[in-house]
Amino acid sequence: MADVAETRKFIEIEVLRYRPEQDSEPFLQIFEVPFTDDMSVLQGLQYIKDYLDGSLSFRWSCRMAICGSCGMMIDGKPRLSCKTFLRDFHPGRVRVEALAHFPIERDLVIVMDDFIDKLESIKPYIIAKEPRTLEQGEYLQTPAERDVYEQFSSCINCLLCYAACPQYGLNPEFVGPGIMALLHRYNVDSRDGGAAQRMDVVNAEEGVFNCTAVGYCSEVCPKHVDPANAVNQNKTLSAKDYFLRFVTPKGGAR
Amino acid sequence: MEAYKVDVAIVGAGGAGLRAAIAVAEADPSLKIALISKVYPMRSHTVAAEGGSAGVVQAHDSLEHHFHDTVSGGDWLCEQDVVDDFVARCTGEMVQLEHWGCPWSRKEDGHINVRAFGGMKIERTWFAADKTGFHMLHTLFQTSIKYPSIRRFDEHFCVDLVVEDGRAQGVVAVQIASRQFTLIQANAVIIATGGAGRVFRENTNGGIVTGDGMAIAYRHGVPLRDMEFVQYHPTCMPGTGLLFTEACRGEGGFLLNKDGYRYLQDYGLGPAEPSPRNKAMELGPRDRLSQAFWYEQQKGRTIDGPHGAVVHLDLRHLGEAKLRERLPQIYELAEEFLGVDPARAPIPVRPAVHYTMGGILVDGRCAAPLPGLYAAGECSSVGIHGANRLGSNSLAELCVFGKVAGDAAAGFAKSVAPGNSAALLKQAAAVEQRALAILTNTSGTERIATLRKEMAESMENGCGIYRQGDTMQATCDKLGELRQRFRNVNVEDKSRVWNTDWLLAIELGYQLDVAEAMAHSALNRRESRGAHQRLDGFGERDDIQYLKHTQAHYAGDGPPRIDYGDVKITRSAPATRAYGAAGEKAEQERQAGREGKVPHG
Amino acid sequence: MNTPNPRRPYVRPMAGWWRRNPFFVEYMVHEGTALFVAAYAIVLLVGLLRLAQGEAAWNGWLDALKSPLSVAFHLILLAAIAYHCWTWFRIMPKTMPPIVVRGKRLPPGAITGCGLAVAAVASLVLLGLVWGMTR
Repeated sequence: MADVAETRKFIEIEVLRYRPEQDSEPFLQIFEVPFTDDMSVLQGLQYIKDYLDGSLSFRWSCRMAICGSCGMMIDGKPRLSCKTFLRDFHPGRVRVEALAHFPIERDLVIVMDDFIDKLESIKPYIIAKEPRTLEQGEYLQTPAERDVYEQFSSCINCLLCYAACPQYGLNPEFVGPGIMALLHRYNVDSRDGGAAQRMDVVNAEEGVFNCTAVGYCSEVCPKHVDPANAVNQNKTLSAKDYFLRFVTPKGGAR
Repeated sequence: MEAYKVDVAIVGAGGAGLRAAIAVAEADPSLKIALISKVYPMRSHTVAAEGGSAGVVQAHDSLEHHFHDTVSGGDWLCEQDVVDDFVARCTGEMVQLEHWGCPWSRKEDGHINVRAFGGMKIERTWFAADKTGFHMLHTLFQTSIKYPSIRRFDEHFCVDLVVEDGRAQGVVAVQIASRQFTLIQANAVIIATGGAGRVFRENTNGGIVTGDGMAIAYRHGVPLRDMEFVQYHPTCMPGTGLLFTEACRGEGGFLLNKDGYRYLQDYGLGPAEPSPRNKAMELGPRDRLSQAFWYEQQKGRTIDGPHGAVVHLDLRHLGEAKLRERLPQIYELAEEFLGVDPARAPIPVRPAVHYTMGGILVDGRCAAPLPGLYAAGECSSVGIHGANRLGSNSLAELCVFGKVAGDAAAGFAKSVAPGNSAALLKQAAAVEQRALAILTNTSGTERIATLRKEMAESMENGCGIYRQGDTMQATCDKLGELRQRFRNVNVEDKSRVWNTDWLLAIELGYQLDVAEAMAHSALNRRESRGAHQRLDGFGERDDIQYLKHTQAHYAGDGPPRIDYGDVKITRSAPATRAYGAAGEKAEQERQAGREGKVPHG
Repeated sequence: MNTPNPRRPYVRPMAGWWRRNPFFVEYMVHEGTALFVAAYAIVLLVGLLRLAQGEAAWNGWLDALKSPLSVAFHLILLAAIAYHCWTWFRIMPKTMPPIVVRGKRLPPGAITGCGLAVAAVASLVLLGLVWGMTR
């Protein structure tokens, strides 16, 4: 942020407020914020908190699109506020709301327990195919083998994909795009042998077949994870698993 | 108040905290662990580390080389026995992370790849593209889910340590969503809360990096060691301070002044070769590079930008394909935040505060002088960074000393009996009252943001890349004033659910204490060493008087009391820190005269 | 000091969700055009039924197809199905495992392009066959 006091430009930021102890439902509040062309929406919100209204609450930390804290609906689209810039909305007004499809805890802060619970349910760690001691050194993994899962391991858990998924909004039981990407990340890692243990999540009623291929999750992903791809690849795997179950006791999973 | 009893409580769930939690869980699955963090673990600032993590793997490398790079990089203010232990454990920890799934970048044959880094004689930096910290953190977090004995307290803010019978016996944490306080009673407490870079204005750190754990330990009488050593990273985004990793230079990037000249050759780092030799030019250590920037600015050879002087980080000759493969995040940062395509134009950069070398005083087992208290990671001063940390040693530190702290705390927790819960609860209730007092003070007039801004500006003025007695004194005075004014702080928001206004005020209190420890430690060190460089007649290193660790002791409302501790020298006597061609010459002389000769100092 | 939990998370309604974002509107249109695919299938099924009922019925069906109303309806069907086809192939890359050609991943645009090209060629071949049969 350059010295904003010197700037002549102002932008209106319209923020969805909700203070559970005093508001029965959310409402929009407009703030007029001085800005420079290099200021992000996050910096605009920080200005509001620092100088206009200290009670505005939002999550943020790294400012560089890697910690995943600052996902918000900005002009109706799920985005990271740290890498969305105010200049792109000027001279119009920009509307900022809590991420869609999640309960609002307060102002721009959502309740994300559901995501964490789901993450904990998918065994998001290597279940070694061939256990190895430290003395044996690293597993060998070629760049091509790494490339198979690397994209899915880039998920920063920002939840934009969930805010982009109407199926999740309509049915929060749905495992959802981000978690499926992470599940897939481990299943296709050459070191992992735990795919069979994760198949229950994929096959469940709230599993992959809740997805109707809207595809917006992949559009909004700030890290090019393409969660829709993970979900849909697993539809094929799940179908295969279902049919192979008649043939082998282990099903289609490796 | 809720009370929860565990064997080990860990405050902070970044790399060090998570590694410590896993270590305790693996040491003894019957031990109960509380992992407390003011954010969800994957938001911790480890996530932002980019370049890589050190561990000797190449046949022509050795632990001895890693030891010497670290000790000389730290300008001999390192605990050499601890450095020995550290370098010996790094590679094992990196392999451990690999087994847990960390997507290390690979060579065609499937082995992990390493890259060059500043101040390192041989390539030994393990990396996962330019998102190494991100991948390490997520690997550790997701792996931690495997252990049922780890109970997480996500988005719980730690307000204080509970000390009873002369030992740490737990912490008091408040759930951010509900403002409900919990006493977490523990036989051992590990602090792993990270650094304090946000006390400066322009910095690479996330908003959460406010020195909480340092301040908490400090207020309980544990000294903060070597706090004057604050690292400026030479290549950061003007204005925001966001980081462009050292790996940009490790991959072959150049630093150019306004004439397109690789100015580092004028500062004893040459010769300038087409691809930087290890420990030379752009691969020199961070303190030297940031200092060179300062001199270029004095000479008027930098470029003026809207956020102050800049130099150019030139990556164009590496080509788009290599940049997309090795430095994808840097590519996007430059494009999205600066509108610069690094394959076609140089990136404007300037130094910004990056890392606090000092921290909570602990021994080589991560134990603080207060029994039952341990610390690991950036919040601690275990003694490996000395006066200047080498890039890629901090991620390795998180793992190595996270594990050491976990093992040590597990052992200690088993050796003592749980304390008197009633007494602890009484203390915790008092802690709650103190924490809420700042909220109920209705006559406050001072704005949190104003105090924070004045602190950060004052720290930048007094404790920047180059320092002088009078400006440091001014900063010390200013911090004293700010601490007074802080008593009159106004917390606008009185509500209970997700009241960040209140938490920011508590954090500001932590920051002011830590900043004061830094400024007074700096003022008292009348020499120049590593990241602490003075212009007022103390421009040389003074091993006679200052081959010592600074220790800042909390002294209530007054300024900290400063005293000094010994530095453990085992086999590397202080010598001239030389890089580039001069460094190679010095190295040859050192090897030639290895038998008993003390190098010139 | 045990005070009641002040949390009261607010759940926003989903009603009218598909109007909130142009992407969702497009998705609904895509899904909606599937009805046109079904409609055309019904037209063909009716034809099959009429064929089974004898020559007169079959010729009546053919005559009905030639009516201006039917031609207009078929033009609408063609447009809707073409749109469905285009959006279907556009989402296709998101549903497939990566296709690696000479060590490089096939970009999504190439997959969509291939799909559309195959659909276009198949349509042309079919058109040619029918054309030849009716000569």
